[in-house]
Amino acid sequence: MSDNPILSVRDVRKTYGGVEVLKGVSFDLERGQSKIVIGPSGTGKSTLLRCINLLSPPDSGNVVLDGVTVEERGINQIRAQIGFVFQEFNLFTHLRVLDNVRLAQRNVLGRSKQEATRRAMEELERVGLSDKLEAYPAELSGGQKQRASIARALAMDPKLILFDEPTSALDPELTGEVVQVMKDLANAGMTMLVVSHEMGFARAAADEVIFMEGGVIVEQGPPSTLFTCPEHARTSQFLRMISHEHQEA
Amino acid sequence: MLEFIEFGKTWMPFLLEGVGVTLGLWVVAMVLGFCLALLLVWGRVYAAKPIYLFATAYVEVFRGTPMLVQLFFIYLGLPEIGIVLAPFTAAAVAIGLNTAAYQAEYFRGAIQSLPAGQMVAARAMGMSRFQALRDIILPQAGRRVIPQWSNEAIVELKYTSIAYAIGLTELTARAEQVGYQTFQFLEAFTLVAIIYLVLTGIVAQSLDFLERKTRIPGLTYTGGKME
Amino acid sequence: MVFDTLVAEFPFLLRGLWIGIQLLAALLALGFVLGITLAVMSVYGHWSLRLFAVVFERIFRGIPEIVLLLLFFYGIGELLPLSPFVAAVLALGLRSTAYQAQIFRGSIQSVAGGEVMAARALGMSRLGAIWHIVLPQALRRSIGPWTNEYSAELKATSLAYVIGVVELTRQASYIVSNLQGNTLTVFAVVAAMYFVVNRLGNAGLYALERRLTIPGFEGRGAES
Repeated sequence: MSDNPILSVRDVRKTYGGVEVLKGVSFDLERGQSKIVIGPSGTGKSTLLRCINLLSPPDSGNVVLDGVTVEERGINQIRAQIGFVFQEFNLFTHLRVLDNVRLAQRNVLGRSKQEATRRAMEELERVGLSDKLEAYPAELSGGQKQRASIARALAMDPKLILFDEPTSALDPELTGEVVQVMKDLANAGMTMLVVSHEMGFARAAADEVIFMEGGVIVEQGPPSTLFTCPEHARTSQFLRMISHEHQEA
Repeated sequence: MLEFIEFGKTWMPFLLEGVGVTLGLWVVAMVLGFCLALLLVWGRVYAAKPIYLFATAYVEVFRGTPMLVQLFFIYLGLPEIGIVLAPFTAAAVAIGLNTAAYQAEYFRGAIQSLPAGQMVAARAMGMSRFQALRDIILPQAGRRVIPQWSNEAIVELKYTSIAYAIGLTELTARAEQVGYQTFQFLEAFTLVAIIYLVLTGIVAQSLDFLERKTRIPGLTYTGGKME
Repeated sequence: MVFDTLVAEFPFLLRGLWIGIQLLAALLALGFVLGITLAVMSVYGHWSLRLFAVVFERIFRGIPEIVLLLLFFYGIGELLPLSPFVAAVLALGLRSTAYQAQIFRGSIQSVAGGEVMAARALGMSRLGAIWHIVLPQALRRSIGPWTNEYSAELKATSLAYVIGVVELTRQASYIVSNLQGNTLTVFAVVAAMYFVVNRLGNAGLYALERRLTIPGFEGRGAES
């Protein structure tokens, strides 16, 4: 690990309704690195992402973004530097695609309309939605919605982007276009932390895989090692299970 | 505060005597409205075209104009053609005719929210149209309409105060009398407001109880649309 | 003869209608501003604000309009003399606040929570998210139920008669007592005037709803 990770998570714990969902999670993310977090459902993967930008503040532990501790004070400026892509897209229903991508640029970053428009067009072009600027979210397919929400995150020029199961709400035939966008992003050097079971992305674009279970990180390593010869029995069991599911699907 | 309690002790009995008139007016009007609403809903859902048009016009007119104007029409206007009604009767008729239009709309909504298959299945089993209505449609629609009907009942309970405008000595009019006798209008009207709050609260609780007692799985009201 | 009378008296009715419409506009505006505030406070605020909203709504929905009008004009008037018109705006406006708060609360709660979270994740403040994301959607969805509130309050303006606001119904009663006759006709005409204003307002609001409809909102706000 280098001395200056872009994101450093230390001993983060979180309890929900008496259940400890995160039992002390620590890891680093280097600039330009992409890590994918896998693990059975209910092991706190999504909670971990939400603890990083304080959408649900951790009970203890700390998160450091580019040398600055993430805390409630000034959280909005910090969140502006951390992109977040939701499983359910969460595009703003009443705004056209272009305005979805422009709103926070103007409201949070204080960009001019021209500047916000320019950045929005760039990112929408990158995700292949240049022809949908004037569409409302309800007029888009699931894959298009998710690509628009990725553009929305990118236009803020974030230091990293968190992806919370970005393909889980999509029909299987639509996941490909989203995975392709994510691969391109990773290859272009974007720093990414991805919660997903998208093995295609993990193999092709992830620098490291983190396997979580029961609120802790069981093991982590490059996909080539972790997928072929995992250290822990639980990891190999889990990998067998999801590869099985994928064959069925 | 103490003064207000003292005031309440003195005048409450006088005000409570008006509760009988208010409740009497309310019950008569609601019963009248209910019977009329059944006729109207039959007219709007099942009857021939002329009756349908009449029922529809009735509902539109009574829902589209203020009740006070309807009351004045009946109480002040009808004597011109020889129909003279006492204040209580005039108020009961006005509120009854008005609530009939609203109740009819709620009933119609409930009936039309039932799957068409219910009527078809009943007829397929050899039931007459009337039997199907009585035994299949009404028991279901009736349950579904209870929340809206309850709401309407409470609205009309409050609307009985309109009879004050034609000089019926019900609750509100008594409060005004207290006001003029004591020149403590604030206290008098606050007291009567509390009585109305208690009355509407009791009615709401009772009708809610009725709704829970008669509830059947699959026939719940989900606000606007029925499931 | 009836016709001549009506022609002669119609300007008075129109004047009364105009007062009634002013009353309606003022009370709806008061109810709109306070209703939205109350709804936002009760959805996003401290539990004490929620409690306040519930109590406020219970009280103003449980008391007859006429009693509220008398309470404000004669009762509050003891402490702070109010003109009949102002008393009517306050009494009916606060009551409308209770109903509008309920409408807005329902539509605020129908906005997907995920969108607020997305706005916060982009760095928008809580108030920014409410203003830019929640309210534009909630207001669209409120137009349908709000149309009912418009109709109810238009009819309620006639009750201001009891505290002497010279609106349409009171003008009609003056005319009737001056003329000693034609009562049925006058009240029928008055009823027709209310009916037309009601219809026009409903048509206007319906047109507004259609104008503001965007994909993803079809019919969701409208009452079935």
